[in-house]
Amino acid sequence: MPEIYLSLLDRILTPVLLMLAVIFLLAGHNAPGGGFIAGLVVATAFLMQILARGDQFVRRLIGTYLQPAMGVGLLIALFSALTGIGNYGVFFQGIWWKISLGDFVLEFGSPTTFDIGVFLVVSAFVTSYLLELSRPAERAAK
Amino acid sequence: MLIQLLALLALTAPALWLLRPHRWRHAGWLAALAPAVVTGWLLSQLGAVSQGSALSEHYAWSQALGLALDLRLDGLSLFFGLIIAGMGTAIAVYAGYYFERSSSLGYFYGLLFLFMTSMLGLVWADNLLALFVFWEGTSITSYLLISFKLTDSNALEGARRALVVTGLGALAMLGGFVLLGQMAGTYSISRLLALPAGTLTQHALFVPMLTLVLLGAFTKSAQFPFHFWLPGAMAAPTPASAYLHSATMVKAGLYLLARLHPALAESPVWFWALFVVGGITMLTGALIALRQHDLKAILAYATVSQLGVLVMLLAFEIKLAAVAAVVGILAHALYKGPLFMVAGIVDHATGTRDIRKLAGLARRLPLLGAAATLAAISMAGIIPTFGFLAKELLLENFFALIEAGQSQIGWLGLAATVIAGALFVAYSLVILWEAFFRRKPELKPAKIEHAPSPLFVLPVLALTLVGAAIPFFLTAIENTLFAAPVAAITAAPAELHLALWHGWTPIFLTSLLAIALGGAIFALRGPVRKLFASGIQLSGTRIFDGVVDGLYALAGWSTRTLQGSSFPTQISIPLLAAAGVVLYAFSMNLVADLRVDWNALPTFYEVVLPLMAVVATLVIARAQSRLSAIISLGLVGVVVLLIYVFFSAPDLALTQFLVEVLTLVLLVLVFYRIPNHAYPKQPKHRSMKYLLISAAVAVWGFGMALVAAGEPLFPLISDFFLLNSVGAAHGGNIVNVILVDFRGFDTLGEISVMVVAALGGYALLRASRMRPIEPEEDFEEPYDA
Repeated sequence: MPEIYLSLLDRILTPVLLMLAVIFLLAGHNAPGGGFIAGLVVATAFLMQILARGDQFVRRLIGTYLQPAMGVGLLIALFSALTGIGNYGVFFQGIWWKISLGDFVLEFGSPTTFDIGVFLVVSAFVTSYLLELSRPAERAAK
Repeated sequence: MLIQLLALLALTAPALWLLRPHRWRHAGWLAALAPAVVTGWLLSQLGAVSQGSALSEHYAWSQALGLALDLRLDGLSLFFGLIIAGMGTAIAVYAGYYFERSSSLGYFYGLLFLFMTSMLGLVWADNLLALFVFWEGTSITSYLLISFKLTDSNALEGARRALVVTGLGALAMLGGFVLLGQMAGTYSISRLLALPAGTLTQHALFVPMLTLVLLGAFTKSAQFPFHFWLPGAMAAPTPASAYLHSATMVKAGLYLLARLHPALAESPVWFWALFVVGGITMLTGALIALRQHDLKAILAYATVSQLGVLVMLLAFEIKLAAVAAVVGILAHALYKGPLFMVAGIVDHATGTRDIRKLAGLARRLPLLGAAATLAAISMAGIIPTFGFLAKELLLENFFALIEAGQSQIGWLGLAATVIAGALFVAYSLVILWEAFFRRKPELKPAKIEHAPSPLFVLPVLALTLVGAAIPFFLTAIENTLFAAPVAAITAAPAELHLALWHGWTPIFLTSLLAIALGGAIFALRGPVRKLFASGIQLSGTRIFDGVVDGLYALAGWSTRTLQGSSFPTQISIPLLAAAGVVLYAFSMNLVADLRVDWNALPTFYEVVLPLMAVVATLVIARAQSRLSAIISLGLVGVVVLLIYVFFSAPDLALTQFLVEVLTLVLLVLVFYRIPNHAYPKQPKHRSMKYLLISAAVAVWGFGMALVAAGEPLFPLISDFFLLNSVGAAHGGNIVNVILVDFRGFDTLGEISVMVVAALGGYALLRASRMRPIEPEEDFEEPYDA
C-alpha cells in the first residue's frame, strides 16, 4: 500500500529518526534514551518505510539481516557482561575508558556495548514482527 | 594448565566444525591432536600426583552463591581424566573413518569435543556447583549426540528419554548439593572431604541429602530402575555410544560416588542403597543382555550390568573394594569401548548389527576379529586378561568380607557375582561365536559390502592391546596409576600389590566355576533365550512413556480449561486471580496503615487526565468499528504518556510514546487481516459478566496504587541507585544505568527471551506457509527391556 504523501514524508523522516536513534543510543547513559528506546525508534523508522513503500520493499532491504542482528546483539550483550569476569573476575562488572578529544571527553564502557546489544535485539525483534504482520493476508496464506 | 586444556578442547569443537573435516579422508588424525595433547600432559603429571600432590586452580565466578570454578587434579581426577582423554583420542580417529566423508562429521566432532570438555571439567571440578554445571553439559551434549540423526524418530525419543531421566536426576542432585553445601558450610569438594568424620553422617538432613545425590548418580550411571534410558541411547552414532554411553559419561555417576565416598560412606543408608541397587542392576542387565539380538543392545545391557557391579563395589568401605572398583572401571573402558567400536565397524561393513544375520567375520576381517576376540575374552574375564584381574579382585572383596565376619553380605554378593559373571561369559561367547567364528547364521546372511580399511580398525586394536598389556606390567603401574585413585576413595594412603596369578586359591576356583557356568549357558543358549523371551517383560520405557503421555494429557486439559474458548475468558482468569489476592488482603486487613491524605487538593492535570482516560475507555466500549476502538485505545495510552511527562519521567514517556505508536499500527495491521464484519451484539448477561470482572480488576489496580503510595514494606533500593549512578556506574540517566548496569543481568535475560519470542513468532506467523506437513511415517519400535 504505497502512499504518495507518506513516501515523500519518509524521505525526510526516516533519516531523522535513524539519526535520533543513534543519539538516543549514545547519549542514553546520561540523558533520556538508551538502547531500548533507540531500538524502538529504529523500528518506527522501518514502520514508516513499510507503510510508505510496502513490506516487500523493506524485506528486500533488511529482511535477511534481522535474525542475524538479534543473534549478534545477544552475543555482544553476553560478551560485554563477560568482560567483567575477564578484568575483575566479576560477571557484569563495568569497565570504562575515557577518550579525551580536546575539551570533549567521551566515556565509553562495557555497559555502552551492552546497550548496543540491547539496541540490536530490540530493533530487529520489533521490525521482524512488523514485517511479518504487515504481510498482506492473501500473500501470507500462500 | 587445567583451564587451558579445557579451553583447548572447547575451542577445538567449533574449529573442527568450521574446517568441514569430511573433505579429508584421514581427518580423524587431525581431530585426535587435542585429546592426545591432554592425554600426554596427564601422563606427565602421573608421577607427581601418585606421590600425593594435587594441582589446584581457582577462578572466581559468583562469590555470593559460593560458586567458583575450582579445578583440582588429584589421583581420582587424573585417573578419570586419562580414561576420558585417552579414549577420546581413539574415538576421534575412529569417528573420522566411521563417518567417511559424510558431511555431518564436523557437527559430530563439534558435539564430541564439547562433551569431552564438559566431562573433563566434571572430573576436575573441585566445587559442587561447578561440577553440576559440567554434569549438565554432558547431559545436553549426550542428548544432541543421541538425536544426531534428526529424521529418526527412535533416536529422538531415545534422546528425550535420556535427557529427561538424567535431567531429573541432576535436578535432584542439585538439591542434594545445596543441602550438602548448607550442612558442610562450603561447596568446595576438597574442603568438604576434609571435614572431621561424622560431621555429615550425623546431621539431621543427611538422609534426604544422600537420597537426592544418589538419585543423580544412579540416573546418570543407568542404575535400576532408571537403566532403560541407556539402551534407548544406542540410537546415537556408534563412536558416541562407545565413548559416552560405555566409557565415560555413564561413569560420571560412579565418579561422583567415588569422589564423595570418604565423606558419606560411613552411613548404613549409603551401604544398603548402593549394594542393593548395584546388585539388582548387575543381575537385570546381565539377564536382559542375553535376550538381545542387536550387537549394540547386547553391549548396552552388558554396560548396565557392569555399572551395577561398580556401584555395588563402591558400597563398601574396605580398600579391596576400592581397588576392585578402580581396576574395574579401567578394564571396562578398555574392553567395552573397543567392543562398541567393533559393532560400529561390523555395521559399517555389512549394513546390519543383527547377530542372527552375521557369521564368520573373523576369517574375512582378521584384524577386526583379533580385536574383538581380545576385547571379548577380557569381558568374559578369562585368564590372563585385564577383565580377569578385575573379576578376581571383585571376588576377593567378597571373600575378604566373609573372612571379616560379614558372612551374609559376603555370600550374597558372591552368589550374585558368580551368576552375573557366568552371564558375562555367556554373552561374550555369544558375540564371539555367532558374529565371528561360526560358519552359518540363523537368518539370511549379510554380506560384507564394504571392508574396513586397516586404519579404521587401528584405534580399536590399539585400545584392546593396551588393555591386554596392562596385566603383564602390573608392578610397573600399580602404584602410579591405581594407588592414587584408591587412596582418594578410601581417604587413606594406599600401596597395592596386584598379581594376575595367585595359585589355586578359592578365588580362582570360583572364577573357574563362573566360566564353566557361563559355558553351560552358552551351550544351552537357544532354550535359555526362549525362556527369557517368554518371561514377563517389565519395561521401564513403557512406564516412562506412560508418565510422559500422562503429563501431556494433563497439560492439554489445563490448557483447554484455562486458556480455551475466547480471548476474554483467557485474560479474565489471571486478572481475577490477581484481583482476588488483593481483595483478600484488604478484607483480612492484612494491609496496615494506608497513608491517604484526604485533604490534599488534586492539581489540574490530575483531574483532566483521568477524565480523558475515562471518556476514551467509554468510547472503546461503545465503539461500532474496530478502527475507532483502536484509536481510543491509543488515546488511553497518550493519557498515560502525559502522566509520565507531568511527573517528570522522560524515559518512560519516550518508551510509552514509541510503544503506543507501534502497537497502534500493529493492531491496525492485525485487524486489517481479520474479515471486517460488524461487531456481534453481546448478550446482556455476558456484558454484565465482563463489567463485573472489569470492576474487580479496577479495584485491584486501585488497591495496588494505594499500597504502593503507603509506607514502603521494604527499605527502598532507589537511594542506592541515586547515590551510585554517577559515581560507580558513570551514568546520569538512572533508568538507563539500571537497565544496563545495576540490573544488567535482568536485561540480558529479557533480551534472550525476546530472541526466543522472535523466533517462535516467526515460526508461528509463517506456519500457514509451511503447510502441508508431511504425514507421519510409521517407525519401528525401539528395542527395550
